[in-house]
Amino acid sequence: MNTDEPVLKTENLTKRYGQFCALDDLSIHVGRGQILGFIGPNGAGKTTTIKILVGLSRPTSGNAWIAGVNCSKQASQIKHLVGYMPDRFGSYDNMRVHEYLDFFGAVFGISAKARRKRIAEVMETTNTTYMQDKFVESLSHGMQQRVGIARTLLHDPQVLILDEPANGLDPRARIEMRELLLRLASEGKTLIVTSHILPELARICDTVAIITGGKLQAFGKLDAVMRDLCPTRSYEVQLVRDDQLDSASSLLQAGLKDAVVTISRPERTLRFPTADSEAELAGALQQLIQGGIEVAQFREVAGDLEDAFLSVAARDK
Amino acid sequence: MFNNPILRRELLGRLRSWKTFAALIAVALISGGLVLLRWPTDATLDVVSQGAMLVFRPLAFALALAVMMLVPPFPATSLVTERRNGTLALLLNSPTTPLQIYWGKLTSNVCLALILISASLPAMAACLAMGGISLGDHILPLILVLFIMAVQYTAVGLWVSLRSSSSDTSLRMTYAAVLALAVLSIGPLVWIGNLSGAAAWVAQWLTALSPISALQHISAAQAATASLGIGTGFVEFVIASSVVTLGLAVITVRQLDPLQLDRPRPTGKVVSRAAGNSPSLLRRLNYLVDPQQRKASIPWWLNPVMVKEFRTRKFGRLHWLLRLVALCAIISLMLTVLAATGTVSWGVEKIAGPLVLMQLALMLLVGPSLGATLISAEVESGGWELLRATPFPAIRILSGKLMSVVWTMLLVLLATLPGYAVMSTIQPAMSGQVGNVIISLLVAVAMVVAISGCVSSFCKTTAVATATSYGVLLSLFVGTLLVWLARGKPFGPLFVERLLRINPAAAALSEMNTPGFEQYNLAPVSWWVGGGIAVGCLIVLSVRTWLMTRPD
Repeated sequence: MNTDEPVLKTENLTKRYGQFCALDDLSIHVGRGQILGFIGPNGAGKTTTIKILVGLSRPTSGNAWIAGVNCSKQASQIKHLVGYMPDRFGSYDNMRVHEYLDFFGAVFGISAKARRKRIAEVMETTNTTYMQDKFVESLSHGMQQRVGIARTLLHDPQVLILDEPANGLDPRARIEMRELLLRLASEGKTLIVTSHILPELARICDTVAIITGGKLQAFGKLDAVMRDLCPTRSYEVQLVRDDQLDSASSLLQAGLKDAVVTISRPERTLRFPTADSEAELAGALQQLIQGGIEVAQFREVAGDLEDAFLSVAARDK
Repeated sequence: MFNNPILRRELLGRLRSWKTFAALIAVALISGGLVLLRWPTDATLDVVSQGAMLVFRPLAFALALAVMMLVPPFPATSLVTERRNGTLALLLNSPTTPLQIYWGKLTSNVCLALILISASLPAMAACLAMGGISLGDHILPLILVLFIMAVQYTAVGLWVSLRSSSSDTSLRMTYAAVLALAVLSIGPLVWIGNLSGAAAWVAQWLTALSPISALQHISAAQAATASLGIGTGFVEFVIASSVVTLGLAVITVRQLDPLQLDRPRPTGKVVSRAAGNSPSLLRRLNYLVDPQQRKASIPWWLNPVMVKEFRTRKFGRLHWLLRLVALCAIISLMLTVLAATGTVSWGVEKIAGPLVLMQLALMLLVGPSLGATLISAEVESGGWELLRATPFPAIRILSGKLMSVVWTMLLVLLATLPGYAVMSTIQPAMSGQVGNVIISLLVAVAMVVAISGCVSSFCKTTAVATATSYGVLLSLFVGTLLVWLARGKPFGPLFVERLLRINPAAAALSEMNTPGFEQYNLAPVSWWVGGGIAVGCLIVLSVRTWLMTRPD
């Protein structure tokens, strides 16, 4: 699978509602089989972007393509290429899950025979077969989300756009959702996922786009974005003896540039953020050992997507 | 009493709404307009003060119609919305008692109705100023009747609302109940007549539930009701309505119990056809088309949206449609057989009236509730967004939705045809008239579907769409018949005939020479007017649907 081949591409995408600019000059691209985490606070322009991509809204300027098809000029073709799951489930009263999927299959023009086979397949993929005779409105939120994904898969789209798929799910359902999305990506589907649960998103996406106030603040591979947005890394040193905490702190401050060391006595731990190189950190560790400090652990505290997002939000303010 | 937090919240919330403001303006304009229309312009002195009554009478009926249309929507959606949103559970979990909840909701709606009625006070004062109308004999009894109607319809709405699963079902059932109480209750006495003994007593008290006789009594037009065989008046209305209101209030308060409301969501069950587990004979007979049997895939030759519409309606599933059609056919045949074999004094004409009215009532009950949810329910549930994201064209979405309503309405209409067939057999000369009746009813169906569909495309919630559709269609179909009831005084024959032309059901009644409609010649003008309204609404609906499926 060639993940470099862009399946989804936007160029200078802009959407204005009168004087208000909902989306400003957005340019991103996502390769086949990749998962893009689309992050931003409420009102950042995520849903506007999604609506343009699925052909439900027209950009004021700029262009978007999915598999080479222009999203605004060839909206009817786009609908065959994209599976869209909005943040609202869109249920119907008195309708069973099988009937619900059958209806959407028919609306997508799938023949009755092919539909029967396809519904069985997507229910198998999303583990919803056991609920096929249940009324849609009686399902729990987690079940509805899975049925929603089954619906988006019916016409075998190349790109899945999922708006807040993990919203309101319990931990187990969240794990199942994560596994399902990863499985779909491994099958070659390109996924665009928005979520406010950033640690969850960090576990599945390869690429992230952070958007605030309609502007793209960061875009790229997850690791690169994290490095870019969080240049200082946090380190933690755990000691064996708590009476050495103060002397260890002095040694670290002397050995590292501008290090602000925080002491946590109950945990016998020292924490400090630094932009120093690996060699300089190795030197600092050596100084501690030579100074008779008994070091139990010296490790980097992994930064997460939340830190990156907060750093963008702080910059934006 | 007024320290009730629910009363304050509901009343303040509604007073802040632009809809209340619009309703107030509408009541003030209509009541003021009616007075202006009937205001004497000549310089002759009216020594017996008939002029004031000619102004007062239409005002009384217009206000009664306004109460019938404007009062039910709020209580009908109140408890069901609270239950669906989960706020009813919060209320029941607080120290507030079910009686306080009920009282708050009832009084807030009645207060709102009184505020609406107060908008007509300047018009009533104008009638009083003309002379011949007294405060004690006319104005205050009218306000009392309107107040009792408001309390009664609020109690009905709250009772239905607590028992309903959705706000549009509740609205539909509430309007059905209000229609039955206000108009259909006079049916047994007016249409069957010649009753004696206990049947006559029951029919008289049923009639007392309707405000029509009380209003006629207040507006000194007892002669009109007496000619219809109605002997009840103001006092009987007060007694009958109070009994119904009190009964419904007691039942609703008793049912406002957390334990009684703790119902599980239907999870859905499919009847297995496996050996040894086949459904019982009783079940097979009860459900000719078993609703719990797994449905086949939608075939290529059917519009999937139409199939979806049928499947998602509680009463749209085939077993319900078959029951409805069977019931209509039985009633239709029963009425005709009665005409053919029963009392000599009953003619085909007298039976045709109830038949047409039954069809009209069914159309008005079923049509708006189906038509008004076509687009609004889809928008409300989020399904419209999903439909827009599919390649299914707007024209097919609209045609599927419209056909789902048209088929239902046609089935109801077809079910009553056996009655007409028997009628034509009894009096072969009536075949032409029967044909004209069927055309009139088809036009009425087209109007109901097109108007309610059109309203639906402008509303984001089913409750608003259903209430608006009922309001518009009741004004067209029942409002014109209320004007007909007050024919002669104050409305002149020409005015009544012109007004009845927008009501194809009136054309059907006149074609069958129903008593009271013999003098009108409404068809084919009525068909053209009705058809024109339907086509206009369909054009608006098509444009709206197309616009709603376009990218933003």
